[in-house]
Amino acid sequence: MLTEIAQLVLNGLMAGTILAVPAIGFTAIYAVLRFPNFSIASQVTIGAFAGYVANVYFGLPAPVAVAFAFLVSGISGVICDEVVLRPMRPTGPLATAITAVALTIVLENVVRFWFGNDLRGYDLPVLRDWRFGELRVSPQQVENLVIAVIAMACLFAFLAFSRMGKAMRAVADNPTLASIKGIDAITIGRLVSFVGMGLAGLGGMLLGLDTSIDPLTGFRVILTVFAAAVVGGLGSIPGAVVGALTIGVAEELSLLVLDPAYRSAIGFVAILLVLTLRPRGILGERAF
Amino acid sequence: MSIISIPSRRTVLAGTAATIAALAAPSIVRAQNGPIRLGALNPLTGAGGSYGPTMRRAIEGVVERVNAAGGIRGRMVELAGEDTQTNPDAAVRAARKLIDVDKVSAIMGTWASSVTTAVAPLCWESKVFLTTVSGSDTITKLPHQGYLIRTQPNTHLQIGKLGEFLLSLGSKKVFVLAAQTPFALPSQARLTEVLVAGGSEMLGGVIYDKDKTSFRSEIDSALKAKPDMIYLNGYTPDVTIVLRELYKAGYEGGKIGQAYAINQKLLESLPPEVTEGAYTVGPSPSVDSAAYKRLAAFLGKDDLDPYSCQCNDQASLVCLAIAKAGEASGPAIKDAVRSISQGPGQKVDDVVDGLKLLAEGKDINFEGASGACDFDAIGDILTTNFRYEQAQKGAFKLLKIAA
Repeated sequence: MLTEIAQLVLNGLMAGTILAVPAIGFTAIYAVLRFPNFSIASQVTIGAFAGYVANVYFGLPAPVAVAFAFLVSGISGVICDEVVLRPMRPTGPLATAITAVALTIVLENVVRFWFGNDLRGYDLPVLRDWRFGELRVSPQQVENLVIAVIAMACLFAFLAFSRMGKAMRAVADNPTLASIKGIDAITIGRLVSFVGMGLAGLGGMLLGLDTSIDPLTGFRVILTVFAAAVVGGLGSIPGAVVGALTIGVAEELSLLVLDPAYRSAIGFVAILLVLTLRPRGILGERAF
Repeated sequence: MSIISIPSRRTVLAGTAATIAALAAPSIVRAQNGPIRLGALNPLTGAGGSYGPTMRRAIEGVVERVNAAGGIRGRMVELAGEDTQTNPDAAVRAARKLIDVDKVSAIMGTWASSVTTAVAPLCWESKVFLTTVSGSDTITKLPHQGYLIRTQPNTHLQIGKLGEFLLSLGSKKVFVLAAQTPFALPSQARLTEVLVAGGSEMLGGVIYDKDKTSFRSEIDSALKAKPDMIYLNGYTPDVTIVLRELYKAGYEGGKIGQAYAINQKLLESLPPEVTEGAYTVGPSPSVDSAAYKRLAAFLGKDDLDPYSCQCNDQASLVCLAIAKAGEASGPAIKDAVRSISQGPGQKVDDVVDGLKLLAEGKDINFEGASGACDFDAIGDILTTNFRYEQAQKGAFKLLKIAA
């Protein structure tokens, strides 16, 4: 029983760390632009496919392909925001969120237009798991974990130490005060779209490395990503990490008492509990 | 002089009378003059996305051939197509559009049992005929009043064959990893029945949520039971992940899945060592029939999946039933379909030949690319062949085709 719990917690932490990457992107965009950008689902997919192109067509190794995934989704995120979402923002967060859902459907079908519906797998050897006593962990999971942790560390360093990072936090904290200080909200909006969607794409590729990808890859995880952001505190970046780890572990531990078919319910239950008991989320909504 | 020509009183009266007469005629008479509208509702995207486009093409092929040969009793056929997204919600919206806006009399080619289960009530309530390729036992047990037939063998028959095959392989301890679907539990119950009767053991099963991206913990519970064979009862996207994770976990026992899940696309997306030795069982089209060869030539493929063959046959059956009944309505198709699909009539494998014979007043018995297309009272197919294959070095090796 104890090993079973340990294995479940380990699986949950691994899954949670990967989930944290797009969740950070989602929450960062919310913190600065103040609307839930559900088009992150399709940027997750675009990242996964960009990484696929880099890995399979150009033969790049996974860690390099991941950087490519970040870039492509980031650029695509900025373009979509400029063309579609920014003009919608003055109409309010609800209308913008609905537009983002529509945008997701369009982008998903753009991916389908190029790549079709077929499942695709990265050009990587499938390695047997490492075993530590009764516990098992896959080398791919560990590689993903390392990439995810490096990406998160870079983001935190960027926010803590760079001028642009500090400006981003300033806009998230108090947009009026930030604009009085001369910070250009539009530039910061573009930057956060680039970083946020880039992280989504990177997360999409990490998800795909361990499984397979198709145009619905992002759509399948969006609920869990949203749940992670809400549980941690919508708008809080450390909160997204805490939320993702909580959801990851909770989904796995639920298997002790629930049938696996109900695993998706955990995301909904978590959102329900948090909104009822602590609407600001575990860490509140301070951006950093 | 006025530039507007004012119609004479007589013309106006005649025109009005004609309009009133047309409106007063029963709607059926009006409908009999226009084109016949049929609906294609296929999984162009989602888990069935690798089959949907050719299924649709097969239906279009039949309609094109019928129209090229002069239509059904002189009326052209118009096909309205929608995508189910392999998702019951989207399928219901699409079916509503086909029924309410396009006014189709039949909907053809729904794939995935959850989709068909959701769409079927709309069809029978609107008196629209539904033909499906879904296999769940529950579907034909719905109160569909005859408005449904399927060309896919039901779960009971499919799983029975799979169970017998496992017994012939000597599998003693079987575990089921199943996606959450309407056939997950009935399949496991039926497999248990067959295995126990043959002296083997069903160790248990896990039903997982197929939209998750990782199934490691589910696999742990399967491996704890120490099976010598695992039945992967899901769809391609989730079975791909499960196979990969079984390999990573070091599982060396047997694997078996339905042919629609472990298919060519799956083999292409996984390294050969992961799929090595996996068995598949699935209904086999009549590969030696003229209908199959004609469809293969039309689709430009040598090897056809069973669903495209079934869609070809469904569209043919619907057109022939309309020709037989002389009326393009759901109730007419429902009443006529068995009189052209089975019985003592002349055997035909092509819709155009069938239409010709019907026009000559002869009886026909349609046998298509998927098989004999004979149906029982609740719409289940009576006979079909099964195809048994094994993945070897990244390609399928045919083991046998048997009834």
